[in-house]
Amino acid sequence: MGQTAIREKKADEGRQNFIHLLPAGLLFGLVLSLVQPALPGKLSAEQIKNKTSAVSQQKKGNAQKKPLEVPGTSARQPKDSDLLKENRFLQEELTLAKNPKYYFVIDLKSKKIDIRARGMQLKSWTASQIRYSGKPLPLKVLGLSQKSALNPPKRQMIKPGEGDTAAVVDQEPVSADKNNQDKKKNAQNGTTMPSQEPGTGGETFQLEALEITDMPGNYELIFDNGLKISVRSPAGKGQKLRRLKENLSWYIFLPVNNVLKKDKVHNQKMILYFDQPRDAQGIYWAFIDGIQGIIWLP
Amino acid sequence: MKKRIWKLLLIAGGLIYIAAVVIIALALINNQKLIDEWKTAYDFKPEARSRISPSAQNSALKKKIQSYQPRGVYIMIDSAENKYYLRAGDKVLREGLVSTGSGEILVEPNGKRSWIFDTPKGEFLVKSKIQNPYWVKPDWAFIEEGEPIPRKMEDRVEGGVLGDYALGFGNGYFLHGTLYTRLLGRNVTHGCVRFADKDLEAIFKASKIGTKIYIY
Repeated sequence: MGQTAIREKKADEGRQNFIHLLPAGLLFGLVLSLVQPALPGKLSAEQIKNKTSAVSQQKKGNAQKKPLEVPGTSARQPKDSDLLKENRFLQEELTLAKNPKYYFVIDLKSKKIDIRARGMQLKSWTASQIRYSGKPLPLKVLGLSQKSALNPPKRQMIKPGEGDTAAVVDQEPVSADKNNQDKKKNAQNGTTMPSQEPGTGGETFQLEALEITDMPGNYELIFDNGLKISVRSPAGKGQKLRRLKENLSWYIFLPVNNVLKKDKVHNQKMILYFDQPRDAQGIYWAFIDGIQGIIWLP
Repeated sequence: MKKRIWKLLLIAGGLIYIAAVVIIALALINNQKLIDEWKTAYDFKPEARSRISPSAQNSALKKKIQSYQPRGVYIMIDSAENKYYLRAGDKVLREGLVSTGSGEILVEPNGKRSWIFDTPKGEFLVKSKIQNPYWVKPDWAFIEEGEPIPRKMEDRVEGGVLGDYALGFGNGYFLHGTLYTRLLGRNVTHGCVRFADKDLEAIFKASKIGTKIYIY
């Protein structure tokens, strides 16, 4: 009986010790949540921008006094460092805009991925989150060298003789006068016309074609400068597990590895997260082999 | 026994706590390093000899980029979504569904030739405008159907299947009409872009030889 009482007492002491640790744990959690934006990969655009601007201003020295700005009375003038940065970006974009090929622009600040041609935006996607680790990306044109996916889309082979009725009729039209065409039309009626009347079929049919929905939602884009961009979306199975693995790697393994690495060679890696699989699939579709573009932080 | 468990729990908790603090410290150090590196990489300096201010240079660069943009109307085709946009500057004049390439592969039975039915991507120009076009079936059309390739040109001609208009943009690719309107919005063609009749008419009337086409 006495022993039981002592045990219970000791157990209570243990519980009390544990309870004392709780506030410390909560405090730790609070600190963690506060410093989280500063963790690698969470290196926010604003943070870098502010730092860069601040240092540039410092470098200019105190001799140049800036005129006082009355809040709310005038539009914010862009700083010289921002202008120079934009200047470099525009110079690089100009080299791309000269070519007839379309190109991409990834804006790390607004998390936007644009497809552009001749300086015009053709299409745009917004990532829900962007993570980046490694050496800073030089503001230069880079090219896509490889797309890698676990399940890459496969092209269907057409078996001769089993022609795809949906895909008939293409290419090489020649002008003809109306009469001739009408004759041809009449001659062809019932032979080469489609078996189904236009607009009568249901739209929920399967095609053996390669469509956007056949594109992977999770894949890697490897660029010629060694940069690897992982594109992630909630497509496919095991997403939660993959995200957990990536988070562990990002928040624990990577910081330790980056600091302790002796050779100091940091692999450049970026992860783009999308809420909709179709966005990730759209990027896979639009990022053709050899596509060039710019990644920058305005 | 319970005391031992509590002790172990405390030790484990303490170790986790210390490890977490160390990791956060390392992360902060690393983070600071990265910020410094970015700061250095993005710290551009003005050209010493340049007399033009950076803002004036930027305006000039923007104008130069804009000078490459098409004047007047142009056509944009989104092959992923199978949509087209007839635009003038930033304004969308008209939009609708199209059908683009199926991405399928056809190999000749003897294996000598093969075709990939993709719609080409990039910038193109309207090179020809044809009213009441008829189709001159290429070899692949016969191979696909398992028919012998005819020697006479007349045997290749087929009318009434391309709609009322066709706009050629090079290498045998056309924007044209279709009988298969229910397939608009899907990837089903051999590389050409199919339009609904009214859309095709609008595009035909709005465009001229040299009108730019952007396919992506």
